[in-house]
Parts: sequence; C-alpha cells; structure tokens
Amino acid sequence: MAESVCRTLRDGGLEGEHAPALTIKDSIASPFGFDVFCHVLTQLSSFILAGKSQSRGLVLVAFCRSPSFYADLLKSKGIDVNSSNKCRVRILDCYTDPLGWKFRLMGVGNLRDLSCEASSTGILCKDVKDTNKLYSSIIELGKGLVAEAKSRFSVAIDSVDQMLRHASMSSVAGLFSNLRSHGQVSNVFWLLHSDLHEVRVTASLEYMSSMVASVEPLQQLTNGQRDDSDKASLTEQNLKKGKFHVRFKRRNGRVRVMLEEFHIEQSGISFKSASSEEVTNQGLLPKVQFSLQLSEKEQIDRSNVVLPFEHQGNGKPIQIYDGRNSLMEGKHETTSVSAGNSETNEGSGGGEIIYYRDSDDEMPDSDEDPDDDLDI
Amino acid sequence: MAATKTRGSSFSRAVSAATPSLAPGLKCGPNGTVFLSSGIPDLDKILGGGFTLGSLVMVMEDSEAPHHMLLLRNFMSQGLIHNQPLLYASPSKDPKGFLGTLPSPASSKDDKPRDRDTDQEKGLRIAWQYKKYFGENNPNFTGHRDDKHEYCNDFDLRKPLERQFLIRQHVDCVSLQDSMNLSVLLDHCGTFLSQFPRNDNNSSITTAGRIAIQSFCAPDCGYSNMEWHMLSFIRSLKSVMRSSNAVAVLTFPPSLLSPSFCKRWQHMADTLLSVKAIPDEDRELAQLLTGYQDMVGLLNVHKIARINTQVNLEYPFPWSFFCGCSTGNAAFMLFCSLSSISFILSCWSKLSAGSYDP
Repeated sequence: MAESVCRTLRDGGLEGEHAPALTIKDSIASPFGFDVFCHVLTQLSSFILAGKSQSRGLVLVAFCRSPSFYADLLKSKGIDVNSSNKCRVRILDCYTDPLGWKFRLMGVGNLRDLSCEASSTGILCKDVKDTNKLYSSIIELGKGLVAEAKSRFSVAIDSVDQMLRHASMSSVAGLFSNLRSHGQVSNVFWLLHSDLHEVRVTASLEYMSSMVASVEPLQQLTNGQRDDSDKASLTEQNLKKGKFHVRFKRRNGRVRVMLEEFHIEQSGISFKSASSEEVTNQGLLPKVQFSLQLSEKEQIDRSNVVLPFEHQGNGKPIQIYDGRNSLMEGKHETTSVSAGNSETNEGSGGGEIIYYRDSDDEMPDSDEDPDDDLDI
Repeated sequence: MAATKTRGSSFSRAVSAATPSLAPGLKCGPNGTVFLSSGIPDLDKILGGGFTLGSLVMVMEDSEAPHHMLLLRNFMSQGLIHNQPLLYASPSKDPKGFLGTLPSPASSKDDKPRDRDTDQEKGLRIAWQYKKYFGENNPNFTGHRDDKHEYCNDFDLRKPLERQFLIRQHVDCVSLQDSMNLSVLLDHCGTFLSQFPRNDNNSSITTAGRIAIQSFCAPDCGYSNMEWHMLSFIRSLKSVMRSSNAVAVLTFPPSLLSPSFCKRWQHMADTLLSVKAIPDEDRELAQLLTGYQDMVGLLNVHKIARINTQVNLEYPFPWSFFCGCSTGNAAFMLFCSLSSISFILSCWSKLSAGSYDP
C-alpha cells in the first residue's frame, strides 16, 4: 500500500531505534521503480512542507537524474525547491561529476565551472567512491537544513545501483546502517534494480531495510508457453500497470504483507487496491493435495449419521434391524391380539415363516463383542 | 521417546568416586558433559539440560525479524547473573549499547509455587498447548529458589539488568566492523577462552565462559564477502571451544550467504537453532494456533550437540516452537509447543530454502 509506506516514512523512527528504511526494487519485467520513487519523494516532500511529518527536511542524493530534473518534478507538484526561505529539500549532486573528471579538466583550463547550477540547492559531490565522505556530506546537508540540533531530516537515494558501481557492498551497507542509526535521520529510502545485482546484494539491502516494496508485472511472462500475440499483449499490459508488493517488518517482529495494483498515466503513477484474488499470503502451512476441510453440507450430513452403538435414545431404545422383526415391535402390534401369541406378527393373512434364532435371548443391541469368547 | 532406563545386564558401570564440583550455573549432563543454561527454561528442557560446555551454538536469523536478539539477550543476562565472563561481538560501532537492553530476572518472591497456568506472569515462560497432559513431575522447578543459585532464571524483558551485574563482570565488547581481518577476532576469542581451559584430570570447574557473536556475516562488515575466511573462522573457533569450558552462540542471517555456504555453516554447528517471523494477520495460522495474537515468531531446533556420544537423542526432530511477545509494552515471551502440527511445520521447514536436514 503506497499510502501506508508513505505514512510509515512520515512517522519516522522512535528515539533510540533505527530509522525506518524503505527499499524500492524493480526489474526489467516491470521497470517502474523510478516512478514509485518519485511518487514517494513527492509525497514525503509535501508532508514535510505541510509540517505533518517527523522530519523537517529532505536530503536527496541524486545519482541517475540531474538536480534540475528533481527541481522541476517537485515544482510540478507544487513544491518549490529554489525558494530560499522555505526550502526544505537539498540535493547532493552525484550526477554531474561523480568521479571529479570535469573538475580536473577544469583545472587544466578547458571547461567552465559547471557547479554553479547545483550550488543553491545542494552540494556537488566529486568523489562517489568515498562512502565516508558521502556520509559526511549527507549529514552536513541535513544539519544545515534543519537548524535545531534535535530536528530530523529524511534521506533519499535515487539509485543504489550507481553507488554499487563505485563502492563495495560492505561500504555501502556501512553507509546505510550509519544513516539509519544517526540520531537526526528520520527515515531513509532508496531505489534498486534487482536484476542488475547478485542475489546476495539484494538480500543484504533487504536485510537492512524495514520495508521492502517490489514492483512486479501483473502476470509473469513464461517462455515457450504462449504464442507471440499473447506475449505482445502481456508485455503491453505490463508496460501500463503492475503489482506493488510491500513487506513491512513491524516492531513486534511480525511481517505484514500488502499488495496493490498500480497504473502508469501521463501525470504519474496511481495506486489502487488489488482487484483480483491476488492477495496470496505466503502462509506457513504448505498446500496439500488432500482436502482436509469439510463443507457446511458435509458437516451437517456427518452430524446426522447415526453410529451403530450410539445410545441416542429419543426415549425409546434403538431399534437396529438385524434380519428379523424385533420382539419389541411385535409386542406393540399384538396388544390387540391375545397375549399368548407373542411370536406371531401382524397376521395380515397368508403363510408366515417363523424362525427362531439361537440368539433370541439376546438383546438386539448388545455391545458385546462376539469375538470375546474366542479362545485362541 | 525411547526409554533410557538400564536393562538388567551382567555389566555394571563403574561409578566414579565423586561427582565433579561445579560452580553455580553449571549442571552435570550425561556422558561426562556439563551444561550451562541458555537463559530460557523451556529451551534448556528441550535441549536436554542446556548448552553443552565446549559446544558451538549457531542461530539462523530471519532477516525480517529481530528474534535472535531475544535469544542473545537471555543468554548474556544468564551468564552475567551467574558471574560467568562474557565476550560480545556485534557489527555495530558501539556494542556496549546493547548491554543496556539486557533483561533482569523476574522477581521470584511472588511466584512460588510456580503455577504454569498463570500465563499473564511477566517473565519468560513456555506455555505448552498440551501441558495438562504432562505430569507436574519436574524436579527442576521445585526446591529452593534462591536467585543467585538458580540454574536458569525467568527473565523479564521489560526490566533492564541491574548495573551491579554489569560492573561486577567486565564484558568484553568487540565491534565486528573493526576487525577487517578475522584472525584478529580469532586471537581475541582465543585469549578470552584461555581463562577457562578444559582439563580432563581436574574434575572441578570453577568458572565457565560465554561468547556471543551477533549477525556474524552482516553486510556492513568488511569481511562479509569473504565466505571461505568466515567458514575458516568458525571452524577454528569450534576447535578452540572444544578445549575450553565455554559456550559460544553465533547468530547469522542465512539469506546473506550463498546456499552452499549456508549448508556448510549449518554443518559446522554443534547445536543449530533457527528463528523465523510469523506473518501478521494470517487467518490460517490464527485458526490453527491458540494465542496467535501473542506470538511473533517461530523457534526451530534443528540439531542438538552430541558430545562424547554416538547415540541419537531421544527427541524427535525437528521440533518447532512458537515464541511470542505480548502486544503493547509488556514484553513476556511464551513458547508453545504444538506436537500435532510439528509435522506440518517440519514439512514447511524442509520446503523453505536453506533449511537443515538432519
């Protein structure tokens, strides 16, 4: 649920606790992670501007888009980055000159200074390989944004993939855990393209985050099972909408799983609750092939079955048909007949076969086990 | 469960002259082993007495839940209460901060006789679903209940451990981020363990030590992608443990290792436990379990240490347990055993990736 995700980020973390962290991941099958990232960014910025969130400012580390792109994006949503007095967003520009090449070329005297563009909204970073420096720049920007020492700020990193190109996994992980445990950071979120990395890398980032949001296609394309027209229509469908799947790690140690559908439109991305029965919670119980449950009708039928040796009564002793007319019934019917004729039946005429069993003396529903007197 | 009562035979075991004198907090076990408590009474019972001295206990974490921290907290607190030296290593920059979260024993003055039906007690307790069918013939819980000499305490997670315990025993804290080189950490452990050498001739054990290593392969540690080095560290640690009177508990998130290494690490363990999170608002599970509201996770016992013996233990494997904390502020844990669905959960544990097949 995109709303719950944004709300959790807005609420931030408690004192002494690690700040909540969100990983947004997508893949080539449904490449809309960046749209989700922008959505979360704009939502959080509007919360910050309206004063509804724990954090008072946002530091955006821009790797894959220029700062002007973000300035325009936020402006289109009504958030003005460049206004000096109410500015709540600072951008750490790792896009323009990540490895410091232009800076060095400038030193040789060939290029003009290109860093003026970013100066009003943030700092230019010239060495993204040094994660310690990156960390201190983020903290410096954040502290500059929120004047008081106790206020908090959010951090957004638009592409972890770019970071991992230049720095090792352990240093990036160290940076994230330092950010999360810094007292002034309210929340952190980042975007990752999961198919660009080994499983271990994605697993490490999920390990460090408290919410994992994955962008998935509505229906997976399976190879070889569909013909081309089907595949084309599926791909087209996947390019317009998809599934937004979120796993929340709650404070009490439980995991909440939520699912939504999203649509890509001109104005951006929109979310709505999952239409079909897609909310398949990965329950802990494995699905077995046997149907172990009873339906309502089956339960009623089962309770109606009279078991052989049950003494259910109804006031009368149970009459079990055992191949002859019972003496009881005979007694009822012959009340009108003379008492001596106990063996005769209703006597509706005609010949009757009267058969006396050896076990006549026995009560009809004796629970004795006839095998009891076997002596083996 | 197989009976281990002796049958009549013409051989009789030579009874040793005297039982070894043990420091408080240690208990004799079968086959010449000595146990120390895990800090959780029912876990001790399941393991047959506790953690065996000289063994390596490994706990497989779930990356989605912090339940392994609860196990570590109880383990560490129990050691401090029994005045057993402790070495704690964690990936955070300041491991000392964790010591502030160690729980204190629940006050034993007002719960004698111990009544298992009062589940509302604060403190660590296991509630067995079928407890009414088990006889109350457990000698561990009768007898005098002096806090210091009790083998295993019930801990109240809401109360922090008193400072006197932390000061009395210096806790050696190591940050795993500092050790780029695992051999430095191994040397540190070796120095710590040299305080408790195991000497077979000497039958009295004056003190035992505890090592707690948390999240050993956490991604922010420099060595986290050097899988062979980490495996070699574990093997060396295990061999040093064998010659000392100590127990090491090492937790790790198996999802961060490659599958083959995950299996190798599991084989390295003497005692292997795993914790797993419970999904929230899972209706099927809610119907299946009573007290679902109070539970937050699963504890699985995959392997129990077999030291000095070739005999398989009596308990059927794997057993699955539920651990929980109440919602809200009060934090007590209940472990429930559900033998009827342990079969289902054992199937589940085999289906899930990276599980251990004994």
